Amino acid sequence: QLTPSSLLRIGQLSNVDLNEDIHELETEVPRQRPNEIPHNEKLLSLKYESLDYDNSENQLFLEEERRINHAAFRTVEIKRWVICAMIGILTGLVACFIDIVVENLAGFKYRVVKDNIDKFTAKGGLSFSLLLWATLNASVVMVGSLIVAFIEPVAAGSGIPQIKCYLNGVKIPHVVRLKTLVIKVCGVILSVVGGLAVGKEGPMIHSGSVIAAGISQGRSTSLKRDFKIFEYFRRDTEKRDFVSAGAAAGVSAAFGAPVGGVLFSLEEGASFWNQFLTWRIFFASMISTFTLNSVLSVYHGNAWDLSSPGLINFGRFDSEKMGYTIQEIPIFIFMGVVGGILGALFNALNYWLTMFRIRYIHRPCLQVVEAMLVAAVTATVGFVMIYCSRDCQPIQGSSVAYPLQLFCADGEYNSMATAFFNTPEKSVVNLFHDPPGSYNPMTLGMFTLMYFFLACWTYGLTVSAGVFIPSLLIGAAWGRLFGISLSYLTKGSIWADPGKYALMGAAAQLGGIVRMTLSLTVIMMEATGNVTYGFPIMLVLMTAKIVGDYFVEGLYDMHIQLQSVPFLHWEAPVTSHSLTAREVMSTPVTCLRRIERVGTVVDILSDTSSNHNGFPVVESNPDTTQVAGLRGLILRSQLIVLLKHKVFVERTNLNLVRRRLKLKDFRDAYPRFPPIQSIHVSQDERECMIDLSEFMNPSPYTVPQEASLPRVFKLFRALGLRHLVVVDNRNEVVGMVTRKDLARYRLGKEGLEELSLAQT
Amino acid sequence: MAPPWWFCRALLPALALALLGLAAAAGPHQTPALELAQELAEELWSAGLPGDLPELEPECRSLLAAFAEGSAALTGCLGRRARPVRLCQGCHGHYRRLLAQYGSIARAVGNSSESHNCAKSILTSDRLQIVVTLSEFFNETWEAANCANCLKNNSEGLSNSTEEFLDLFNKSLTCFEHNLQGQAIDLSPNNYTEVCKNCNETYTKLNDLYNYLQRMNRQGGESAHSAHLCIDVEDAMNITRKLWSRTFNCSLPCSDTVPVIAVSSFILFLPIVFYLSSFLHSKQKKRILILPKRIQSNANLVNIQEKYS
Repeated sequence: QLTPSSLLRIGQLSNVDLNEDIHELETEVPRQRPNEIPHNEKLLSLKYESLDYDNSENQLFLEEERRINHAAFRTVEIKRWVICAMIGILTGLVACFIDIVVENLAGFKYRVVKDNIDKFTAKGGLSFSLLLWATLNASVVMVGSLIVAFIEPVAAGSGIPQIKCYLNGVKIPHVVRLKTLVIKVCGVILSVVGGLAVGKEGPMIHSGSVIAAGISQGRSTSLKRDFKIFEYFRRDTEKRDFVSAGAAAGVSAAFGAPVGGVLFSLEEGASFWNQFLTWRIFFASMISTFTLNSVLSVYHGNAWDLSSPGLINFGRFDSEKMGYTIQEIPIFIFMGVVGGILGALFNALNYWLTMFRIRYIHRPCLQVVEAMLVAAVTATVGFVMIYCSRDCQPIQGSSVAYPLQLFCADGEYNSMATAFFNTPEKSVVNLFHDPPGSYNPMTLGMFTLMYFFLACWTYGLTVSAGVFIPSLLIGAAWGRLFGISLSYLTKGSIWADPGKYALMGAAAQLGGIVRMTLSLTVIMMEATGNVTYGFPIMLVLMTAKIVGDYFVEGLYDMHIQLQSVPFLHWEAPVTSHSLTAREVMSTPVTCLRRIERVGTVVDILSDTSSNHNGFPVVESNPDTTQVAGLRGLILRSQLIVLLKHKVFVERTNLNLVRRRLKLKDFRDAYPRFPPIQSIHVSQDERECMIDLSEFMNPSPYTVPQEASLPRVFKLFRALGLRHLVVVDNRNEVVGMVTRKDLARYRLGKEGLEELSLAQT
Repeated sequence: MAPPWWFCRALLPALALALLGLAAAAGPHQTPALELAQELAEELWSAGLPGDLPELEPECRSLLAAFAEGSAALTGCLGRRARPVRLCQGCHGHYRRLLAQYGSIARAVGNSSESHNCAKSILTSDRLQIVVTLSEFFNETWEAANCANCLKNNSEGLSNSTEEFLDLFNKSLTCFEHNLQGQAIDLSPNNYTEVCKNCNETYTKLNDLYNYLQRMNRQGGESAHSAHLCIDVEDAMNITRKLWSRTFNCSLPCSDTVPVIAVSSFILFLPIVFYLSSFLHSKQKKRILILPKRIQSNANLVNIQEKYS
């Protein structure tokens, strides 16, 4: 219902603008009503700003560079390595903390519920056990959801879309704060302990990124502590590089896959990349997995064993027992197709659910209630499945962590309970490695069906939780089912370990949902520790992606789009060459003169209707009506620092300024510049003049009006720009291209679409 | 315990030993192993072999014979007690003796004037190393059965808990038998309620004791082997449980389905109420569109689309 109407509206609006002159302000008032529309995916939010990746080469910068000699730059390089090592260590430690706490709390919960169930099986009254289980889950999840919804909503979900946006150059508010990290870690622990269909792997990536952003700055604004170290790195460009290292360290700690982590950063995250960075990121990843490994081995009592490199270990896949033959490859490809279709179904369902949530469940208390309900229902579904299942298997040794007997014969356990009555990580490993015959097909089928809907329902709740493990679990369940039915259909002529098919199913399902290719292949390969699986996993993921992309896009991209983030993809839409910078740009542009009146600057900055961040600086011309030649570009943040320090021409002349402003003053204010309202400028000072020539970037990137959209896009994307000035032949400013101007063109189902800007 | 396998210098005793090992393992009939070995050696000797081949020293030979007899006895014991499993109860004496015999071979230093000792000549002189293989086989079997678990620490006799368990086990078996005698004629599958009722107490005690033993055991050690109780106890419990649950069908019936369905459908109903009410009562979030400041030329989007279509 939305697609044609919004397109039509764009057309109508532009037609209206064509017919009526912009100067007629009366028309604005009646147009207020239709401007309110329900949320849809074809919007760009004004909430998001860009990061400044372009270095402002003003005079202060040149002075500082002159002052720092060659040796000092070498120490900067060493500091980078030190920071990467610290990122690795801390990420590993956070992962350990999460793992240990989850293990203990979940163990405690399952023991309590198991004892209760055992007690009531004999006496009757199992409905009390059900209530106990549901209440326990709901209350734990309630706490987890409360802290997320009320303290830091950006910590919700896996955090991968947010980090992807951050590395793309979009400033998501609060995304790399210490507070977010704390909420994220606690939230993950609570939602996994609460028995939701979630994993703790995705959030590790976000956690790693926050750690990286925090360490590289050498201070925390949340704690109001400044350690006076690493001041050189207080810039968006440097911070971005460290954040990509943090994301890699997070993946590496989550899956024990250091190479996969680097590739993940490369594939999903880093839009900007260089070779030196790769090696440093790899270093951080390795340190992270090693830290996790050594601490966890000490915790498990076999120090020096180094047997737990990641939060999830897929266990050992023996080449002899679980090898594959050439004939099986078409079967794997078929599984990839199934994974792609199921993944697309998952994404489509989740899309509608998320849309509903954005539109109707936007109040924090409703979000908490929803999360609690999901937790209670998850427990109920699990209980009913276990209750109804008649699949009993003999206990062999102690492979089952919490064997539930229920109505099975003594010495046997309920096989459904190994899948539902366990943390999802353990269930995945069980599905991979339990000997053939541990599950009967009915159990697996029901489990897949239920878990599919539960996981789909759970993703997007206001709890911090990842989607990796539920996807793997769904895939492992239907993969195992597939393996069993394969040997059944062929009357046992294809004898195969179902664990192998479970692995391929897991890969297919995950690939179908998140649509990662290279990094996921390597992650799976490293997690299984078997290089020979590389080829089939690659084929499976490739097929899953191709099939899935035919229907809908990947889960993360979908959520980025639903959040109305101005995300720039690698390339401009293919059919956009006929658009020129003239149509893309925003105009007229608010310009500042090189020597500007303070009052004007304050007024421009405090104008709420135009929340601009970059201002072209033009030659001071006595005739204010005429647009003059472009001289440079200055940012809002710089202006605010200037106003705060009152660097006015008159004061300088009167020698009132104690010292000259240095680059350090700008860095100290980074990244949270005070709002203009907090800066007091007296009436007298408003009449002063301010000289911007020292502080502006004297050589901003510009394009002529005739440049095509793909050309502008390429420049913008490759250089990570925030503002691109459009000039005419006389070097006069005619317009400004920003991220939102470019991101609003998107290739939709019916060709090129234009998104509208909205206040959210 | 890894002697060099290429170390084969004494052909004669080796051959004899190989045959001896075979003979020892061959069967329950007590072969006079010592005689056989001697016989063989003499046979080979008379066949014109060079006389300077080192012969097995007499004391070594007697050690070997003792080991052969011991292993034959143990094999016999293990075989006879395979079903129902009574390995640990019945054979621990044999096993202990064999261990001692092997120990004395390994430790024995033969005649001091000789450069080599019994351990060398018996254990490491040939590729097959049958004595080592045999002893490893017995050790592995013993470990797999986890017999150490139900023996006393010095492995002389069963531990107290095991005795207690076996006592209860016998009691429950007697109870089963006793109660079955009454209705021996009509053994239709559902007619065991008497047994279930009368023996419930003994059975529950037995089951609880078993679970308790298992729990204690799991707390004690972490490795995979010690997670099991010893095979005798496990097997006894398995038999009883099978009788109880499968044959007598005494396991718990699937009860209270109605309350479970009621509670679960109540919980499953909640989200529907929640979503419906939030759909009906919550105010839909609206976004305020912002008009961008742009040059509105002819080449706007609609025109582009027309151009392409």
